[in-house]
Amino acid sequence: MSILIDADTRVLVQGITGAQGRFDVRYCLAYGTKIVGGVTPGRGGEIVEGVPVFDTVRAAVTAVGANATAIYVPARGVKNAVLEAVDAGIAVILATSENVPRHDASIAVTSARDAGARLVGFNSNGLISPGKCKMGGIGGDRPQDIYKPGRIGVCSRSGGMSAELCATLARAGLGASTCISLGGDPIVGMRMVEYLRLFEQDPETDACVIFGEPGTDHEQGVAEGIVRGELRKPVIALIAGRFQEAYPAGVSFGHVAAMISAKGDSASEKRAMLREAGAHVAESLEEIPSLLRDALGER
Amino acid sequence: LPVRLTEDRAKNWLTSQGLPVPQGEVADSPAAAAAAAERLGGAVAVKALVAAGRRGKANGVGLVDDKEGAAAFAASLIGREIAGARVERLYVERRATIDRELYLSFAFDVSKPQIVLSAQGGIEIEETFARDPSAIMRAELDPRRGLYPWEAIQLWQGAGLESRFLPALADVTVRLFDAFRAADALTLEINPLAIDPAGAPLLVGALMEIDDSALFRHREWAALAEGIGDSGRALNERERLVVDADRKFPGGAVRYTELAGDIGLMVAGGGASLLQHDMIVAAGGRPANHSDISPTPTPDKPAAVFDAIFSNPRACSLLIGYNYLQMAPCDNVIAGLLIAAKKHRIDPRRFPIVVRLFGPNEEEARRLAATLPGINYLQRGATLADGVAAIVEATRRAQASAEAVA
Repeated sequence: MSILIDADTRVLVQGITGAQGRFDVRYCLAYGTKIVGGVTPGRGGEIVEGVPVFDTVRAAVTAVGANATAIYVPARGVKNAVLEAVDAGIAVILATSENVPRHDASIAVTSARDAGARLVGFNSNGLISPGKCKMGGIGGDRPQDIYKPGRIGVCSRSGGMSAELCATLARAGLGASTCISLGGDPIVGMRMVEYLRLFEQDPETDACVIFGEPGTDHEQGVAEGIVRGELRKPVIALIAGRFQEAYPAGVSFGHVAAMISAKGDSASEKRAMLREAGAHVAESLEEIPSLLRDALGER
Repeated sequence: LPVRLTEDRAKNWLTSQGLPVPQGEVADSPAAAAAAAERLGGAVAVKALVAAGRRGKANGVGLVDDKEGAAAFAASLIGREIAGARVERLYVERRATIDRELYLSFAFDVSKPQIVLSAQGGIEIEETFARDPSAIMRAELDPRRGLYPWEAIQLWQGAGLESRFLPALADVTVRLFDAFRAADALTLEINPLAIDPAGAPLLVGALMEIDDSALFRHREWAALAEGIGDSGRALNERERLVVDADRKFPGGAVRYTELAGDIGLMVAGGGASLLQHDMIVAAGGRPANHSDISPTPTPDKPAAVFDAIFSNPRACSLLIGYNYLQMAPCDNVIAGLLIAAKKHRIDPRRFPIVVRLFGPNEEEARRLAATLPGINYLQRGATLADGVAAIVEATRRAQASAEAVA
């Protein structure tokens, strides 16, 4: 098992005719992902990397059947690309573009949630269920070298770090059930704790590894999920960015931030919060495999 | 980083959206402030025109009764520093008669806009919130549509406003949320939202932050997106060149902020750049800069960062520390390195360069790197920790031998 995507996932690529879309599609096909169609308005009828191109998501779904889509369109077009995928009933939507305008992101995320679609990103390099399916650039040209199949759920705020986490697991003879780069933009489709809830339900995931950073309340949500008892599988956390605390914080503009922002969003505060909740906080990448073995041995 | 509008720009925008804003003018000298005060009826507020909040608490706002008072306060304000910015211009605004001060703002929480409002506005709003959180009303809004008038009425009712104020307040609230959306604002804060003796609302304090990712829709503000970096201070020349390159060339965002140390960092990919920076500090190294770059389809952006690092007189070594590249070819990075290294005549035997860069087109990247003798390009499979250990050690050795020569 795995979460979100598996060997039966049928994937569309919105923006398949662009440079990044083509680049990633080639490696996804080589990995075995079932990319069944592409979408670029005005380019319907073309073939890219052997994949038929359609003018709309709905036309692609009707013609070839699909339950997931990877979006490679410029940030200014992402809102409509997500809304189109939601409208066509796509269940899993990956949005790779970064610096999506905040209002656009908010509209897209709200619509995806209302429809029950799972939106990964914005600013995500993808997700992979090793040996079954990958969507997005994750793994690059040699995903099999880094992402080994296994029983660890991996969820990272950083796309690049998802590779380092899985390479570290692989060196220790461990592997991932699914690995997700949840996206680096300020607004993303799903919070970290939501992925961990999916891993909690997955019988083939034994434990989770997360990578966190300063800012946002993703890690706080995970800590609360552990405290509430809804996350019972061990969580190993690596949180980077402590160096920032040596520098003065920017002065906020106005008063509203002080009244609505998440409290305690520095790396040190997140580490303390997670540790107190019962997560295992790693000091380094290299420490993660032994923490995993200890945590799983305890159970 | 968000673009913070100065008061004149924020109020011009709100006026253009049909909202009630006091009349005001920009002045750049005591004489101009006096003339503006005279045109505005004598009793005016004279404010430092810097894009910062809390100007009142920094004595950046003066209430005067006539043009002489305006000139005198203007003279005391020009040239002072407020919130890190030198005051060069002033905003002179007609003083309103205020019966009550309310508070109203819009901002993003996790993924939706929030409205925050209170019947107790004014500069002590944060203290009020700390003392009595129930004095502040808060609600999540649907980003896909405007507010309905009855929703705004219910919110202000909840904040304790009497019935007779509600229709006009609701109207202003609805139009402010429209303005927040139309401006791609991240923050729109009205404090105080004044009520005059006739019960009419007036937007006396107005702060706006615009989403820099949406400036393609707002050409009039695009030019303002310069000047202040991640560190909160003004950009230096090298940082500014990187910002320019970021705009000019294709590919993901690049950031470059100088610090006081000596190890140049070209560390990529958000999380890994943070982690490597932490690891260098833990190993006793001192970064000359922080950087963060997403994979780019051409060598231009990396070349701009390398150019900045090689131009920084404090930098004496360079770590190129990428994650396993997944979305872009490796050879772009090294091509960018060679452009900058050639320009600055860098010899890696004296200016150590450690490279940890694996992924698509790695063979070509290694071939290019070999044309610059002395680069330590780590074997595939080396960890982030290996790269950090190598650069800290190489920097130490380079400094020791430089001291020995001196």
